[in-house]
Amino acid sequence: MPIRVLLDRVLLERRMSLTELADRVGVTIANLSILKTGKARAVRFSTLAALCRELDCQPGDILLYEPGPGDDEPLIEDD
Amino acid sequence: MPLMRALGPGSVSSFLKTILDVVFYALWVGLGVSGLLLFAALLLSFNPDLIGDIALSAGESELLAKPPVLLGAILAVGLYLAGVLVIVARLRQIFATLTAGDPFHPDNVRRLRVIGLTLAALELGRYGFQILSAWLLPGRNQVESGLSLTAWFSVLVVFVLAEVFREGARLRREAELTI
Repeated sequence: MPIRVLLDRVLLERRMSLTELADRVGVTIANLSILKTGKARAVRFSTLAALCRELDCQPGDILLYEPGPGDDEPLIEDD
Repeated sequence: MPLMRALGPGSVSSFLKTILDVVFYALWVGLGVSGLLLFAALLLSFNPDLIGDIALSAGESELLAKPPVLLGAILAVGLYLAGVLVIVARLRQIFATLTAGDPFHPDNVRRLRVIGLTLAALELGRYGFQILSAWLLPGRNQVESGLSLTAWFSVLVVFVLAEVFREGARLRREAELTI
């Protein structure tokens, strides 16, 4: 996935724990961990908005596009 | 008219679950009985003296006069029941995932395919049994013969459903990883 999630860095800058963010955003720690470790396939706009609100940042502060080998994946997988 | 509940007591699925449970246990009983009959028939085939007595009381002298035919018939019934049992067991497993609130579990694709293959095998077995019975009992073939389009159509339906479930499982995985 060429989209990198920079939640770690933003959390460090805000001196906020993952548990606290999970509480504030209303997402389980397990789901937030999936997002943080880059295993997530998609992020809902509502989740992104809540993250930006609680972290006082823009989507671009959390998400980074890095072209890579897996970049030319088709949008609809047929596996 | 209010819609029937999808899950829980008094719903369509609880009704179906009861039917599946009853059929499942009835099939086990049927399989056990045919196993016992097969065992008894095997014993009788080694003691031809006993066959005459039973044939008289049973009244099916022609059938019982040929032990291999009797054995074959019981074996065919047993195999048929076993095939249906395989299908019902898979249906119960699929149903368990439904009541657990996760019907698009990836395992259900495999279960549906097993059901489709078993349906096809049962139909092929029926043809085999027809050919065998026509050969062993010429002129006495009472088994319904001919190609059953309904059976093959149900095989097709099950395989199509398996593919639908495969896509459902993919969407489920996608939804699981959507935060």
